[in-house]
Amino acid sequence: MSKVVEISPTTRHEGHSKLVLKVDDAGIIERGDWLSITPVRGVEKLAINKTMDQVPKIASRVCGICPIAHTLAGIESMEGSIRCEIPRDAKLLRIVLQCANRLHSHALHNILTLPDMYLPGTDTKINPFSPEEPVRSVAKRIQKLRMVGQTIGEIAGGEAVHPSNPRVGGLYKACTPRAVQKMYDLAKEALPLAIEHMEFMIAVLRNYQKRDWSEVGGKQIPIPKDLGYHNMGYMAAHPMYGSTNLDENPGWNPERWTDVRPWDWYMGEVEVSLAEPNYPIGGTSPVGTKANPQMEACTGVPLYDGAPVEVGPRARMVQFKNYDEKGTIGQQVARQMEYPDCLYTIMNALDEYNPSGKVLADYIPQGDGSLGWAANEAPRGCDVHLAKVKDGRVLYYEMLVPTTWNFPTCSRALTGAPWQLAEVIVRGYDPCVSCATHMIVVDDDKRIVAQKLIQ
Amino acid sequence: MGTELGKYKACVSARSTNKEILKRSQDGGIVTQLFAYALEEGIIDGAIVAGPGDEPYRPRPFIATTVDELMSARGTRYNISPNVSWIKEATRSYGLDKVGIVGTPCQMQAVRKGQLYPFGWRDVDDKIALAIGIFCMENFPYQSIKQLVEDHAGVSMQSVKKMDIGKGKFWVYTERGATVQLPLKVTHKYEQPGCHVCLDYVANLADVSTGSVGSPDGWSTVFVRTKNGDDIWGKAIAAGCFETKPIDQVKPGLELVSKLANEKINKNQKTVEGRATFGVDKALRNPYIKP
Amino acid sequence: MATADVEKKAEITKKEEKPVAEKITVGHVHMSGCTGCLVSLADNYDGLLTILDKYADLVYGLTLADVRHIPKMDVALVEGSVCIQDKISVEEIRETREKAAVVVAVGGCACYGNITRFSRGGQPNQPQHESFLPVGDLIKVDVYIPGCAPCPQLIRNVCVMAYLLLKGNQEQQELAKKYLTPLMQLADRGTEACGCDLMIDVVNQGLCMGCGSCAAACPVRAITHEYGKPNVNREMCIKCGACYAQCPRSFFNFDVITEFEGISELINGALQ
Ligand SMILES: Cc1cc2nc3c(=O)[nH]c(=O)nc-3n(C[C@H](O)[C@H](O)[C@H](O)COP(=O)(O)OP(=O)(O)OC[C@H]3O[C@@H](n4cnc5c(N)ncnc54)[C@H](O)[C@@H]3O)c2cc1C
Ligand code: SF4
Ligand code: SF4
Ligand code: SF4
Ligand code: SF4
Repeated sequence: MSKVVEISPTTRHEGHSKLVLKVDDAGIIERGDWLSITPVRGVEKLAINKTMDQVPKIASRVCGICPIAHTLAGIESMEGSIRCEIPRDAKLLRIVLQCANRLHSHALHNILTLPDMYLPGTDTKINPFSPEEPVRSVAKRIQKLRMVGQTIGEIAGGEAVHPSNPRVGGLYKACTPRAVQKMYDLAKEALPLAIEHMEFMIAVLRNYQKRDWSEVGGKQIPIPKDLGYHNMGYMAAHPMYGSTNLDENPGWNPERWTDVRPWDWYMGEVEVSLAEPNYPIGGTSPVGTKANPQMEACTGVPLYDGAPVEVGPRARMVQFKNYDEKGTIGQQVARQMEYPDCLYTIMNALDEYNPSGKVLADYIPQGDGSLGWAANEAPRGCDVHLAKVKDGRVLYYEMLVPTTWNFPTCSRALTGAPWQLAEVIVRGYDPCVSCATHMIVVDDDKRIVAQKLIQ
Repeated sequence: MGTELGKYKACVSARSTNKEILKRSQDGGIVTQLFAYALEEGIIDGAIVAGPGDEPYRPRPFIATTVDELMSARGTRYNISPNVSWIKEATRSYGLDKVGIVGTPCQMQAVRKGQLYPFGWRDVDDKIALAIGIFCMENFPYQSIKQLVEDHAGVSMQSVKKMDIGKGKFWVYTERGATVQLPLKVTHKYEQPGCHVCLDYVANLADVSTGSVGSPDGWSTVFVRTKNGDDIWGKAIAAGCFETKPIDQVKPGLELVSKLANEKINKNQKTVEGRATFGVDKALRNPYIKP
Repeated sequence: MATADVEKKAEITKKEEKPVAEKITVGHVHMSGCTGCLVSLADNYDGLLTILDKYADLVYGLTLADVRHIPKMDVALVEGSVCIQDKISVEEIRETREKAAVVVAVGGCACYGNITRFSRGGQPNQPQHESFLPVGDLIKVDVYIPGCAPCPQLIRNVCVMAYLLLKGNQEQQELAKKYLTPLMQLADRGTEACGCDLMIDVVNQGLCMGCGSCAAACPVRAITHEYGKPNVNREMCIKCGACYAQCPRSFFNFDVITEFEGISELINGALQ
């Protein structure tokens, strides 16, 4: 007889989410639902009839960890709709911004997942805030990498968290040669650190992979070799930056996207029948708690070619670099492997950048209401924004953010794992739940919405 | 003398030793000279100054990163130049790590508030490398200056070479060598209203502050206020940037500065107090009490 | 650091020593925010580590730690506004007030609603989520840190001052009180902010002197200066409250700001 465990809220990721897990007698997950319980701020709906300049600034604020991705995807979906080509030098600075964001975000994610991992050669889990060595040097290195990412983002983007410099048509301000030099120096200085850090992280992850057990709430929980495996596909628009409908060969196809409601996807009402008060910290939900993922889920379920897909570092590596390692550790390793590329790409873009070039299009059309989209490769995966702009105002806005893509995929990846390790699998996706509040109204017959949009 | 002159480590009368600077500087060329020195020595990467704008004598704040650019901003423009609006951008797309800024006492207050209470000025507080304050009795909207120059003084804005306030008069010097003076009485109504609650005359919060009052024509009175200011000023003196005279050996000297400062502060303190009973049981806001 | 080193050093890792001075307990409560406020806190880089080493124990914060339920704490840093149609959020903010001695609203969303002031529901899967309130509309808030994102340095300053207020000597407590006063007054002032405040409470009040601080503060470049006075593009403004708070004519406390040299040294010293 399967039992139901609920872990709510889940921790060490952005936003509010929970896990509802049906487990067998041995505590192995038979079916897992991982869902967002973050209130829906409704950015897609509040965007309607606001200006195309303001909406991306609001969209940026759905997430403070990958705000650059949202800003750029938002702006570029507007540009896609009004068909505005931006100057080359503006594009180059946007690429710099993109990489800076990924650098900082991956480093932050390390802080969040390291506590699941062990110091190699010991049975001690890592507390990244411990002042003791060797952890302190690692924490400082992480902060240094974050500082480099945030500072480069601040110079090219105007602000370190929500960038103010990008705008529809390009950027407000070009960077001076001094600013370019500063960014270049920072990137160069960070490169050896990033490589060192990547190697360290991979070693820590491989060490976990080799372990037989992990301690959770005072118990030794066996780590299965196929932790986090799933049979879903992958989706990525570009190895580093992204793609829009203005590209000659778009990296994403709205016709392959459909959407279902949580109603058709998640479990209906269940009652918690297994509780573990020692689960860190504060225990799982008490027996008798009612959970209703169908009703509680705050996001929709986007499908690509009719099935859930994984997005993120591994999806990019699978699609563009012949990577094929499955499971949570494979996913985490792929993320670490992206470190050096962030910095190489920044340096290359800065090499090409001309400080006296234009960064704003001469002419910015106001739009006729046609559909534009931008698929930006955010740190945690493909972030697709779709927009229709008419006379400078937004008629329609849609955000298919990375974690929304990953919710159903990750839910499937839980199957077969001991429930105590469910959060380890979830964290592998670097979930960013606040932004994952996408939902759209689909036809009752679930017609492919995109076809309707493109008309 | 009380608190009207603020805290300072030293006060001298000074002028730049660079004749080129003095040609177009307002007074002793202290601002331009000190920035130029700091720029050349790498103490600052650039400075926010008020340069020429779209209309004659209308200032446009900009970030000078060369001595030539500093030179183009010499001289006082008696109307509002929101220099502080660049304080963050200087550290962004300009890539400055060590920012210089010149401004009126209220602008120095803005800078220091922003360092202690950075609400929207992320990563700026430790990048302000040299804040030079200029004395200020009052400032004007651009239209006020236009009306003073064109209506009262009967001079067209295009032909003004320099404006000055001193010796109790508003002076307009033209390119063709004429001089018109207006009694300050006529200028009062044109002042920027926000100046009437201002309680600082000599830029108490600057690293170094300077103005003409207290020193002979062509010379400036200089207060060296902070550790940082003292350090830079000391080096600039050692490098021969300035001629100086002890302030107690020049006329009219510090006493006049004190007198004017007290006059300004007392008058404006009364305005601030008057705002409490401005309406009928209704007060105007007092920023010195609460937001 | 190479893994071999890590292993070697791990062996000689000594027991954690209890710090001498007593720390304050701090929690991060995440309501409907974007986590950008927390990122800002983390953007004190090594300073964050120092704060955690010396002054504050992080006792709660779903993003950073495994504690699942709000514990008692000295200072709660609340990020985000509260969706009153979401039961959990409302319970959590009430609980925060009960459990925390000092509640700090961090960021425009917690203080003023920020972008959630534009929310109007209608978005599946929770179309009823339409009302997002600044924290101060539901509980008493002690200290405000406006801005979007709020600045790491201001969050840092408030943390250091909160520590001095709760654990410092008398002189330090007085300084902390003076420093925090305007931030407490901002909390009292209300839960609405907009670029319009510059017009209503500064220019209309005859107080603007054209410094430009407001334009520098705005995180969406909504403010320009026209002939020296601010112009707010209201179709860009996100209602974060940074401009008004930054304006020297919103508040200017001579007793603190005049001491900028000493206070900056104190704060920098504390983070060494
Ligand atoms: C509005 C105003 C009122 C003043 N009132 C007095 C007074 O009552 N008594 C007194 O002794 N001195 C006053 N001054 C200062 C004085 O006019 C000189 O600016 C000062 O002595 C510096 O001269 P200098 O030769 O050292 O500088 P210079 O080398 O000539 O450089 C002057 C610098 O000031 C900057 N500047 C010019 N106009 C403005 C402006 N509107 N806002 C901000 N920065 C500006 C320029 O960018 C330049 O860098 C006032 C200045 C202003 C702007
Ligand atoms: S009088 Fe005061 S408020 Fe007015 S410009 Fe001068 S310093 Fe600023
Ligand atoms: S104030 Fe800004 S950074 Fe903070 S939660 Fe709100 S949107 Fe995010
Ligand atoms: S910050 Fe300066 S320019 Fe802006 S409203 Fe306040 S006084 Fe005026
Ligand atoms: S104008 Fe800018 S700084 Fe002021 S409240 Fe609006 S967004 Fe914030």
